[in-house]
Amino acid sequence: MNERLAVASLATLAVLAVLVAPWAAFNRETGARSAILLLPNRTIDFTGRTEALRAPGQRVVLSLSLVALGALIGAAALGARARRIVWIAAGGALLVTTMWGLDRFGGAVDEQRLIAVTLAIDDAIDGARPTLDIERLEEIRTTVGERSVAATIEAARTAGLIIRRLPYAGAALGPAAFLALVAGFVALVAGLRVVRAVNRPLDRVLAGAAVPLVSIVLALAAAAVVILVLQPTPQAAGVVIDGPLMALAGRLDTLWYAYYTLFAGSLGTVKGFADALSFSTPLIFTGLAVGFGFQAGLFNIGAPGQMILGAIFAMFVGLYVPGPAAVVLPLAIAAAALGGGLWGALPGWLKARFGANEVINTILLNFVASSLLLFMLSSNPTFAAGAVRVLQLLGVVIGSMLVAYLVPWGRRALGRRPRLTLAALGVVVLVGATILSQPQPGDTPQVLRLPFKVPGSEPKSYEIGEATRLPRLAGLFGLDLRRAPSENQVDLNVAAFIAPLGGLATLLLLGRFRPGLRVRTRAFVALVLGAVAYSVLVVAGLGGFALTVPITNLNGSFLIAIGAAVFVHFFLFRTTWGYELRATGLAPKAAEYGGANLRRNTVLAMSISGALAGLTATHYVLGGALEDYALRQSIPINDGFDGIAVALLGGNTPVGVVLAAFLFGVLKNGGSSLNITFSDLTRDVVSMILALVVLFIAAKGFLGEGYTNPLRRAMALGETPTEATGEGEADARAQRPPVYGPPPAGADAAGEGSAPAAGAPSTDREDPS
Amino acid sequence: METVVLVTLAASAVRATTPLLFAALGGLFSERSGIVNIALEGIMLFGALTAALVTYYVELPVLRETPGARVPYAPWIGLLAAMVVGGGVGFVHALVSIRYKADQIISGVAINLMAIGLPAVILTGLFANSTTSAPVANRLPSWTLGPLTFSPLVYGAFVLVPIVWYVVFRTPFGLRLRAVGEHPEAADSVGISVIRMRYTGVIISGVLAAMGGAYLSIGAFNQFITEMSGGRGFIALAALIFGKWHPLGVLGATLLFGAFQALETQLGGAALLPPTVVQSLPFILTMLVLAGFVGRAIPPKAIGKPFHKG
Repeated sequence: MNERLAVASLATLAVLAVLVAPWAAFNRETGARSAILLLPNRTIDFTGRTEALRAPGQRVVLSLSLVALGALIGAAALGARARRIVWIAAGGALLVTTMWGLDRFGGAVDEQRLIAVTLAIDDAIDGARPTLDIERLEEIRTTVGERSVAATIEAARTAGLIIRRLPYAGAALGPAAFLALVAGFVALVAGLRVVRAVNRPLDRVLAGAAVPLVSIVLALAAAAVVILVLQPTPQAAGVVIDGPLMALAGRLDTLWYAYYTLFAGSLGTVKGFADALSFSTPLIFTGLAVGFGFQAGLFNIGAPGQMILGAIFAMFVGLYVPGPAAVVLPLAIAAAALGGGLWGALPGWLKARFGANEVINTILLNFVASSLLLFMLSSNPTFAAGAVRVLQLLGVVIGSMLVAYLVPWGRRALGRRPRLTLAALGVVVLVGATILSQPQPGDTPQVLRLPFKVPGSEPKSYEIGEATRLPRLAGLFGLDLRRAPSENQVDLNVAAFIAPLGGLATLLLLGRFRPGLRVRTRAFVALVLGAVAYSVLVVAGLGGFALTVPITNLNGSFLIAIGAAVFVHFFLFRTTWGYELRATGLAPKAAEYGGANLRRNTVLAMSISGALAGLTATHYVLGGALEDYALRQSIPINDGFDGIAVALLGGNTPVGVVLAAFLFGVLKNGGSSLNITFSDLTRDVVSMILALVVLFIAAKGFLGEGYTNPLRRAMALGETPTEATGEGEADARAQRPPVYGPPPAGADAAGEGSAPAAGAPSTDREDPS
Repeated sequence: METVVLVTLAASAVRATTPLLFAALGGLFSERSGIVNIALEGIMLFGALTAALVTYYVELPVLRETPGARVPYAPWIGLLAAMVVGGGVGFVHALVSIRYKADQIISGVAINLMAIGLPAVILTGLFANSTTSAPVANRLPSWTLGPLTFSPLVYGAFVLVPIVWYVVFRTPFGLRLRAVGEHPEAADSVGISVIRMRYTGVIISGVLAAMGGAYLSIGAFNQFITEMSGGRGFIALAALIFGKWHPLGVLGATLLFGAFQALETQLGGAALLPPTVVQSLPFILTMLVLAGFVGRAIPPKAIGKPFHKG
């Protein structure tokens, strides 16, 4: 995509938006009914109760915005240098104008709100009802200008006066202003390419983030269609849609507010942010799990099942292993990883041993795990006596298999003819089962009472012991909100977080740009800079940042998730094993030729992947994110599928996964507000967006090879690639109109590992169905 | 007494086979052309949803006029709509896999994910309930043929087997389809349009899988429930491998799985085993089958690989 085209079309869109779309909203009632403002001074009211509001400066903002946007479009025709300079100037102007306009508008709205509050207080003082503290109200009345509106309302409430029904709820950004800001920002960034030092990092970011970004935008756009179809414009009874402009503005406002709801809660408040982090915790684990599999060339769709097994294992440790937290808690975490790891190793082994495709097997194991969980948490499952005998038979057979496998010659004997062994076993089991399942006189059904299941029909286990519980956010700050709910203020030393980070960054940057310096010197410089930064930050007042700790499900599991991401990064990119796994994923044949053991790697990769998925139990069971610290049937295993979207969006790298998981955490948290705010939308909109993201990323954002293939992109940018042979030529030919002829020999081999020679059966062969 | 049980078991096995057979035969077209179609599960769900919704909205105006009236054509229109939508979803899968050369498994997974989210969103919009559609009054009828009484789709599925066999193994179209899946470059060199054959294969697979889904919602049942396919698409895929990508093999494999599902219902119903245990049996069976101890399956050689036209 050409940057001129991009900026110009974005600016055109912004022009249209500034002309006909809502620029700001100044009243918002429950049910998302709104009163919105279109530049200049056009009010459209869907609440039926809101007065028009005249705010100063709107004509100025409108004309300046249009001029700046026009300059952005016009500059596309200029030469590179002039164009970029105009973009910087006009983009900056657009940002400043819009911010200024919003600020003025917000001021006007606040003024009106303040007037209304003052009037309400005056009325109350005149009325002098006995429930009111009149002296206090008069004091508030005299100081009304010194406080914010919200603070005044709060103060009046303490004096017994509850003020409701303000004429305006407050000023909020509208889609037109948002688009203007985006256009300004994009133009500014594109313009900065005039500075040579910006080019390379910008290119790198664009190359890495283009497909995910475009995919997200496309997914949001596709979801917009669904939202518009399903959700009519919220309006009060009696409001008549008057003309096409009002209808259009209403639709745009609905769409805008739906997305606003999805994002604002999480990004605007501390509690929302913490909740978003809480939602993203399991997604980090499952995203890492799927991404790890992808890196090794395996598609692990079994994260849901691995989550369940991890949760079951963690629950067992939590319930039955006594001891101090320092021992039991790590044990429970390890158990979660072990459970998921074993459930992942099974399809890995099936693939390595029998060449059974891991995609279908992991899917099937999800169903098996779901049934297992349901079985464990169902109330008193009943077995017929015959069935119990069959299960005993199975136990004996599996037990003797295990014993045979532990004895070396037994393992050899079984391993020589694996299929025959399995078939014979199958016959033994089938015949035995048929005989044993015949009803015999005196049989009574056997009721199983599972010891960990709570009595009653609720599908959950007992709560795990205190020692194996991970603390929630408040607990991490040393607070106990259950015992003392009001003591939730902490002094957060922000400086102590930032300063070491700054020091570390200095250390790394010095290493990159001044490699000649000795480590000792670098460390000293970093230390000094960190100390200076710390003192500056403390002076700036960040030493004791008063934080009200919200009540949230965010818990210690988040730290484990970050730790897991660091571990995966280190493992994949800093160890020989990781290197081998990645090599196996890129080109299995070549890796095998280079000495990698494909079978072992397959099992290893699936085990680690499964273990990562199993660690979600630290959030849902040990972290108590589902109401209490118990294993529940409601454990949201769809997180496992969402992990696919997270991994793909994050490019299968740990850093990308964490970022993508945070984005989806925000969306999921917003999804719950969507349920409440809109009558016809549900949180399922979010799962749809996730699915669309996967689809669009699979299609490489519909960007075409010219953008996604680094070689061709370099050619499009006018830089001569140094190695324009083989793949490049084949791709160039692929772009030509169809001509029948022999296929390029390099085309297939240039892709993923090509098939082995015909008729050579081998277990590592890709047969992806 | 014993025979009654057996007849019931056989009949319910045939019913359980029907959606699997549709999906597996659909998958056969797709995979024979070289495109992995793990989206069968999702396409079934889309088919089931469309069938239920269209039937409901076709019969609605008539039922408003005269409550309790029969609207015999409604489910057929629903079925047709399901086939169209199934073909459409198949087209999306084909577009992403062929035109944009996406990883076919990821594309299929995306469609499966969509089939979980989108129905819930649509149902909420239409019925203020995110898990079920309103029940339809007119399901597909039951046709009695001698001693058999089944939904027409049941007969359809079994009649389809020889038709598919004939199409795939005895017509030029079938030959081209197989050629494209085995060796696209060779097929291309003799003038077969690989791209068009693959699009056709995947779209047919969508149409057939959607028929299986429609059977679930308006044949065997009278409404759509989210995730009502319950893994049948994946089992169908396994049946396709087990049946070695051959219609007759597929018939045998789906009958086996169908019989197992019927047995599952009987076992669970008779309180022999807890239903939760029985539920997992077909999946375990499928895994054992996939492990290949019943004979190794050789897939179409070019399966899963995007075709780069020379």
